[in-house]
Amino acid sequence: MSGARLLRQTIPGATLLVLGALLSACGGGKLGAAAGTFTPRTPGTLTVATAQIPDPGFWQGTFQHPTGGFEYELARALASRFGLARVRVIDVPFRQLTAGHLHGADLALSDITVTSERARYVAFSTSYLRAPPAILVRPGTEVPDVHSAQRLSWAVESGTTLLQALEESIEPSSTPLILDHQREVLHALRSGRAQAIMLDLPVALAYARESPHAYAVAAQLSSEAVLAAALPLGSSNVEAVDSAIRAFGADGTLERLGHAWLHTDLQEGQSENVPVLRTAE
Amino acid sequence: MIAALAHTHAPIATLIELSTPKGAEWEFLVVFATLLLGPVIVQRARIPGIIGLLLGGYVIGPHGLGVIGAGNNTLPDLGQLGLLYLMFVAGVELDLNLLRRHRRSAIVFGLLTFAFPMILGTTVGLGLGWETEAAILLGSLLTSHTLITYPTVRAAGLTSDPAVATAVGSTVLTDTLALVVLAGVAGSVGGGRSGIEVAAQIAVGLIVLVVYSLLVLPLLAGWAFRRLGTERSVRYVVAITAFLSAATVAELFGIEGIVGAFFAGLALNRLVPNEGQLMDRIGFFGGAVFIPVFLVSVGLILNPAVMARGETLELAGLFIVACLGGKVLAAALSARLLQFSRAQAGLLFSLSSAQAAATLAATVIGFQLGLFDSAVVNAVLVVILVSVLASTIVGARASDRLPAHDQGPQPLGTRVVVGVGDPATAGSALSIGVRMARADGGVVHPVLVLPDTAPIAPRALRERFGQVISAAGADGLPLTIVDRSVLHGALRAAAAHEATLVLIPELAEAGSSEDGRPAGAGPAMNTDTDTADMVDTVDMVDTVDTVDTVDTVDTADTAASPAPHAPPIALVRGDETLWVDAPADSR
Repeated sequence: MSGARLLRQTIPGATLLVLGALLSACGGGKLGAAAGTFTPRTPGTLTVATAQIPDPGFWQGTFQHPTGGFEYELARALASRFGLARVRVIDVPFRQLTAGHLHGADLALSDITVTSERARYVAFSTSYLRAPPAILVRPGTEVPDVHSAQRLSWAVESGTTLLQALEESIEPSSTPLILDHQREVLHALRSGRAQAIMLDLPVALAYARESPHAYAVAAQLSSEAVLAAALPLGSSNVEAVDSAIRAFGADGTLERLGHAWLHTDLQEGQSENVPVLRTAE
Repeated sequence: MIAALAHTHAPIATLIELSTPKGAEWEFLVVFATLLLGPVIVQRARIPGIIGLLLGGYVIGPHGLGVIGAGNNTLPDLGQLGLLYLMFVAGVELDLNLLRRHRRSAIVFGLLTFAFPMILGTTVGLGLGWETEAAILLGSLLTSHTLITYPTVRAAGLTSDPAVATAVGSTVLTDTLALVVLAGVAGSVGGGRSGIEVAAQIAVGLIVLVVYSLLVLPLLAGWAFRRLGTERSVRYVVAITAFLSAATVAELFGIEGIVGAFFAGLALNRLVPNEGQLMDRIGFFGGAVFIPVFLVSVGLILNPAVMARGETLELAGLFIVACLGGKVLAAALSARLLQFSRAQAGLLFSLSSAQAAATLAATVIGFQLGLFDSAVVNAVLVVILVSVLASTIVGARASDRLPAHDQGPQPLGTRVVVGVGDPATAGSALSIGVRMARADGGVVHPVLVLPDTAPIAPRALRERFGQVISAAGADGLPLTIVDRSVLHGALRAAAAHEATLVLIPELAEAGSSEDGRPAGAGPAMNTDTDTADMVDTVDMVDTVDTVDTVDTVDTADTAASPAPHAPPIALVRGDETLWVDAPADSR
């Protein structure tokens, strides 16, 4: 059989198959993009809920006029990827966020640590930052080992994974102060009511960098804790946000934001500059 | 104490404080239990073990029992190593000789079985409205294939069938092309650079990678095997280091590490013969730990809720049409072009349609890059399952319709037995053996033959033998046997190994007769007159310095020995190689 004849016999079949594949694929238009489809609640706007602005390193400015920060820039990058022109930020208390009340926001970006308990109320995205618990102290306070940590007086925010980490990993010898807001916890440290407080490492690093005379990061705990975006349970946008965050990890966006706003790279592991406190946990 | 317990009526359970299992030990236990039980359970239902590992990953992962949480880094990191390992193994175990011997047909089929699924897959992606990069990646991941049905075909005695050789040889081409496309797609994602900049970077990266992998790496690895590789574990670590270094070079240029690992596999292909000890070790650890861990880590992404969705199944259906349709077209067209029968076309399809390792690897990369969501990943898993089933069924039917072939002539260097009586004289013969084996992708089995009057082989002698073997770069199983002559011992080992060639260093003091007949058997054995009776003719054909030309000896003649246990024998004297006909008593 000559090559030309063979081609004449094969090309129609191949063309038919290609056209068939194309037509059947087009018929499945509702399947959406390969990386998921994002549908905002307000057309053209990404509505983001967060609990606190300013939040050093994560959110700068005000709710009306956010000016920067890791999570704010992450929100802008998400909006850009989804083709949304605007980012609107709304103020929602942390406890309400983790209870699944996003008050109409598409997603929440608020230093939220992923836990199985919280996953009952919100849908977590792929994580964008590692956030092991860290011990923030006043400069000069040393925490070389867990026994030293146990002897300190502690303050911690209620309703957070940090309280659990403090109780299970440190087991302080005196009852810790349990306060409702992060700013109260920081005030307790500054005022001397507490000698040490527990914060997520990137948050603690941001405070220590912002106020080196007031705070120092003494140690971090070994942990798999990660921060992620929280979406309403059952949201169809989870896949699109997941893909976006993976893409930001692959193309260096997260690393760039970490260096720019947190002055560290916490995507891959714990900060190399902060000693890890060895505990029984 | 017991009395006291009984007196208080306190249940023992209340006195023992058990803590919830957690930590690295617990996670590793769960993972290894999954490696153990996953395949065993599904294989009882005649489902391939790979599916059991994927399902096991789902069960222990965040979508299942949550033992391995979303924030766990250990298993994904191990899985990443497993992914690199998988691609390294894919490269190192490929039979490059088949590609060389069936070059034309392998290239024709390789190009067609790459092109059709590529075009169809990309068409489907574009038809779905996907981004161009995602559509191209979809096309490329459907092009590669894994030789899952090869064991079935081998069991049917069809390994020498031209269609089988063509399909196996084409694997090098399709997998390489698929990975080059993957490199291009991955390099073009993000970064905000122009297409020309991206293309230039990838082109330069691929050139550097090819130069490093195919030129530098074999030299470095060969040197390391000779100088550092007396310990088995060291040789293994050299291989691991080699593919990790190639993966790192690839990453430096923004090319996915799996491309580097695959190229490293191709680079070490000749240094790591498939029947050698190092390959055995690579296959063992890969098959037992690294690759299964990768599959379990992929299972963490698996979500039956997503897989069962209509959207996922629709995607899977389209992918299956693109993949299997393209593979059918390629097999049918190739069969016509290459004048294969319908049954042989079935074999082409069967061997080239099963999607597994490379497909999964490219899909995971697409997921990590944010090009694919979990619906695509789960749809690809359905494609893998369907393609494995389809290729198995078609392969079995096609095999039934074709007559079994003999193994056929094997290249002279496929399995070379080098028999020596004294390690001090083994260097030349081993070097010749290694060079001949490498040319044919074969392996050298060194045999130390001691006289039956000798005591147990001294440890020092065996250690020295090991050093000589290592220095020559031989990778076969060293053997110490006791026999009446080196030749007898070597022939016994040759029968056990189904050798294609036996090399024996000739004794200086024994020499050879005027007509070239060998009269001696080895320094430790002294002259053995039986040996002379066993050999019919001797013709000197070459020297060590120009040993490359030994390859031009008519292998069809030598391989056409009347029985597989009667390999040709070459006698090595200093730097000369004397060719000897098959021994009389083995005919």
